[in-house]
Amino acid sequence: MTTNVCTQCGYEKVVIHRKYNGQRLCSSCFRKSIETKVLKTIKKQKLITKGDKVLVGLSGGKDSVALLKILNILKEKHIIELEAVTIDEGIKGYREEGVRIAKNVAKELNVKHHIISFNDKYNFTIDKIMQVEQKEEHPQHACTFCGVFRRQIFNQTAREVGATKLATGHNLDDESQSILMNYLEGNINNMVRIGYKTESRDERFTQKIKPLREIPEKEIGLYVLESGYEVHFDGCPYAHESFRMEIGDFLREATLKHPTIMYSTLNGFEKIKPAIKKDYIENQTGLPNKTCVKCGEPSSQDICKSCKFLENIQKKLENEESI
Amino acid sequence: MSIKLINKKDVKEIEFVENTTIETILKNEEIPVETVVIKQNGDTVTEDEIVNDNDEIEIIKVIYGG
Repeated sequence: MTTNVCTQCGYEKVVIHRKYNGQRLCSSCFRKSIETKVLKTIKKQKLITKGDKVLVGLSGGKDSVALLKILNILKEKHIIELEAVTIDEGIKGYREEGVRIAKNVAKELNVKHHIISFNDKYNFTIDKIMQVEQKEEHPQHACTFCGVFRRQIFNQTAREVGATKLATGHNLDDESQSILMNYLEGNINNMVRIGYKTESRDERFTQKIKPLREIPEKEIGLYVLESGYEVHFDGCPYAHESFRMEIGDFLREATLKHPTIMYSTLNGFEKIKPAIKKDYIENQTGLPNKTCVKCGEPSSQDICKSCKFLENIQKKLENEESI
Repeated sequence: MSIKLINKKDVKEIEFVENTTIETILKNEEIPVETVVIKQNGDTVTEDEIVNDNDEIEIIKVIYGG
């Protein structure tokens, strides 16, 4: 029989057996290991420097709540300034709970919190868009709109509050999925952009960082539960059968028999990335840093994707009202 | 021997034989172990824990997938 005690302190109540490195940890040693690992990633990958103003994308889900709590350690030590932004896309029965939790967490940690809704900013909600979109012959997925507008809001808010870093809660599962998806789709341009931090040449884009990149998603869930943090684990009602979901299921299933597979996917990719960049990307001319003539945001074309979508949505909403 | 399995609003009694692990119970119930955190009588445990008569096993889904 295996001795089911914490491999760090010998305590007999073990909350995790990490099959990828053989560790068995009690609640206290587990939580400490997560915080240490995230802070180590930040240091090793130079994600944050002293004096940075970090804006966290805070949905109220497990990843962003864990991220805010861990970054708060650096705030408490007066190494960084910390603020959070929550985007309310207008998804009834789902987003309200996230916004409520985000408010509570920010208040508890004394972190300045910005809540921006699609309704206030664009005068529609995702629910409204989807109501109209469902009537189309080939309706677009909610994620298509959501992603574009969220990115725009994140970037604008970061600039407005003078943030030097924009931190997101991407975890090991998210990252290994992205690597595999882009590889299988042959999307090398997107693949080489995956990393601990973004490297945009356009100064109008605040650098994005991913401090949780080396933490498996399940461990983030366990971390917030063991820390007694209030989070919501519900999935978005618009989440659909996507390629990402297929790859996620495949990777998680594979992890059962091959416990290190997500780490090896990530680490192997990090090793070959410089070579791909050198041989492939540097021969490309790269996208010009234009400015959207409509909204003034950085764009690769004259009109940015967000404004193109907005125009399209406004037309559909107007048609809807005139019927 | 039986346990009470709580999976959100779904609560059921499950019969088991001696020396059954939580992992086996989850497999039989088609709950992917890699997406959940398990509580045995209120304490967080690993899936290789053996279940006992009258245990309350709570499943908390922390990852959404297929």
